[in-house]
Amino acid sequence: MSAQAMTRRPRWLTVVGVLGVIAMGFTVWLGLWITPPDQFQGNLARLLYIHPAIATVALYWVGLVAAGGSLLYLWPRTRSLFWDRLAAASVEVGAVFAALTLVTGAIWGRPVWGVWWTWDARLTSTALLLLLEIGYLALRRVPAEPAIRARRCAVAALLIAIDIPIVHFSVDWWNTLHQGGTFIDPGFQIHASPSMSWTFLLGFIAFTLVFVWLLGVRYQVEVLQDAVGDQELEVSLSERWSEDTDLVGAAASAPTPGPGGGTS
Amino acid sequence: MSYVDAGYAIALATLFVYAVTLVLRRRRWERALQMSEPAGESESAPAGSEQS
Repeated sequence: MSAQAMTRRPRWLTVVGVLGVIAMGFTVWLGLWITPPDQFQGNLARLLYIHPAIATVALYWVGLVAAGGSLLYLWPRTRSLFWDRLAAASVEVGAVFAALTLVTGAIWGRPVWGVWWTWDARLTSTALLLLLEIGYLALRRVPAEPAIRARRCAVAALLIAIDIPIVHFSVDWWNTLHQGGTFIDPGFQIHASPSMSWTFLLGFIAFTLVFVWLLGVRYQVEVLQDAVGDQELEVSLSERWSEDTDLVGAAASAPTPGPGGGTS
Repeated sequence: MSYVDAGYAIALATLFVYAVTLVLRRRRWERALQMSEPAGESESAPAGSEQS
């Protein structure tokens, strides 16, 4: 693939980015100025237009792409570095969203719960997810053949994915400070006014679009990194090859030693 | 600054900074690729001959 082909930017990614910015702008406008304060939480409920949406990306979308990509890489019939790069891009973007989940949750938790942090099952398993993702990124930097690195990282991503159902079901499995569904209960009944519900939904769409755009750009970075690595390897090999050829040529043209060890 | 403002500011600023660093990283690797490519290869390749 030529450099021109690799540096081409797909139009759909630009469209997704623009839509993401517009949706985010509307979410902020509706969330901060248009929607009414909550009956119980007052203005603090406005944080719920962004925190669950960020957490959804960090947990489900990232988990889906990272685990799905890793499985498809490990499956011999679908093995391609495309899946490995997509999973790697997803984990890095996921680490940013996981960190934001913890930070926005802490900012909401301080006035509502009275603490920035507690060793609650939901919070601890989310923090563990962030640490595991950082570990994945460290593992990816360990020098190795692309195929070995991809296999190693795919296994690591699948191990990280084990934490996702733990985070999801933590509020059911353990008695936690973190509440269950706030806007939507398990029976999909919405407990909010229409303007709040639409803003909540728009927040999910906005952060999902931003995630897709970030994932696309991060994937391009991954492709370019690998291409530069390959080019540098090719240059090194061709230099080494030309050095060897020169040495062989010099040895062939060197005068043959005479019977007494001298030159003839 | 209220907790709500702080939450929105941190979330949006973090995503914005990360997006900018990603775009800069992409630009840097594009330049590195163009510099590492053997001379004449990019000129000789017809535009649109390969799909990414």
